[in-house]
Amino acid sequence: MLASGCYSGGGPKHSVDGGGGPAMLTGAPAVSYAIPRVGGGTDSVASHRGSIVLMNFWATWCPPCKEEMPALEALYRSRRSQGLVVLGIDQGESTATAGEFAKAHGVTFPILVDADQQYASSYVSIGLPTTVIVGRDGHVVRGIDGAQTLGQFQALVGPLLAAK
Amino acid sequence: MSARATAIAFAILAIALTLAQFAVPARDWYHSWQYTVILAIAIVVMFAHAWRAWRGGDEPRGKRIALALAGALAVAVAGLLSGLIGPDTVTVLGTPGTVTPVGDIGAAAFFPQADPQTLPRGDATVILRRRGAGPIEVGSRPVPVGLSVAFTEMRPAAYVVVRDDRGDRLTITQPSNPSFLSPVILFRQSQLIHDRTFPLDTFAVPAAQRVVRILYFTAADLATFRRDADAPAPTEPGAILSASDDAGAQRGITMAASGRETAIGGLRVTVTLGSYPVLQIASAPQPYVTLGGLVLFFLAGVLAFVPEKKPQTGVSSPSYSQS
Repeated sequence: MLASGCYSGGGPKHSVDGGGGPAMLTGAPAVSYAIPRVGGGTDSVASHRGSIVLMNFWATWCPPCKEEMPALEALYRSRRSQGLVVLGIDQGESTATAGEFAKAHGVTFPILVDADQQYASSYVSIGLPTTVIVGRDGHVVRGIDGAQTLGQFQALVGPLLAAK
Repeated sequence: MSARATAIAFAILAIALTLAQFAVPARDWYHSWQYTVILAIAIVVMFAHAWRAWRGGDEPRGKRIALALAGALAVAVAGLLSGLIGPDTVTVLGTPGTVTPVGDIGAAAFFPQADPQTLPRGDATVILRRRGAGPIEVGSRPVPVGLSVAFTEMRPAAYVVVRDDRGDRLTITQPSNPSFLSPVILFRQSQLIHDRTFPLDTFAVPAAQRVVRILYFTAADLATFRRDADAPAPTEPGAILSASDDAGAQRGITMAASGRETAIGGLRVTVTLGSYPVLQIASAPQPYVTLGGLVLFFLAGVLAFVPEKKPQTGVSSPSYSQS
């Protein structure tokens, strides 16, 4: 697991255990924490209420996260003008580590640093990367485990951005 | 013992057994045949005497005694049904900061965030929310929720912070747990050491390719391990950490004191030990029937045994007239 991927491989073992992955949170109010942002200041999902927010939980040591980054960047560039907010939320690392990675990979969307891993644990992330889409009303629209392609991202956010 | 005294004794016993389901919930004994038989006998004895008393067989005040026994009967039946057909106790394990549906009571359980300050206090509570009802804060004292009682049980937990040599924080994962990306270790496994079971869990540090096993010991456990009887007894819990790499090779073992940074396997690990709540949902007697039955039992019982004042006639008694 450590060498090849970032998945728990475990999953829920009991019907009322806290597991089940982020998909189980569809329709629930989006949990928000104010955490440091690479480049200075703090940010949170709640501060973008009214916009479609795509949160991506990632870490620099996670190979699928690295592979997914170009698709996220392309999505951000193409949909930013339509009001899409992309937040890359680094899990458990330092601002310096996340900042170096973002710079090296040409990431221009906001990178937040969740050193206490609050976002991923609250959204019941069962692996990295995890993507959570929050609607304009502040509720979770979708939670997805694993890396997505640009086409998959477009299919997810396109209808939400089109619906006013 | 008279029939009345026997019936009242059984009434008190039945009430005590039923109320125990609220006071000390989630015991298997409430679903056992012994519990059922005792309550069933109590119900038969109480019913028989209540019927006799109502029909004038326990005068004076037979009807009041019958009413008191009817109250106790209601309580006993509620206790019997809860034990017979009530659901098994459900344990809800929640990850800090998450919401977990609890279908058995039609509620959502909001588990609190945990951090190095709150865990050692061990006073976290769980909030239950049900549609159309206000939030219910659940702690160690049982709280009625519908036909169940909810309460929390504090279990060992640890908040883990891992840094590299430069002091930068590293991501922690829990590959074998549903709470994959939580830095809070909930010790969902155990290890047997010399006939005793100790809480055990594992976390990984993928960036450093390390897996760390963590074994939890209470202060009392640590005291029993002392070789030097003159040494001061430990007052805080501790943990044994053992690190290995992703090929399984051992990379160190050490004892970690709560809240203090420890070097192991090329990592700087700080483990803050404490406790985190687990939610328990246990069956309980119907609360309104139980309360109504208790009120009836005590009111009618008091009225049955309080001496009545004799009506005053205005005529002096013979003893006074002689003085």
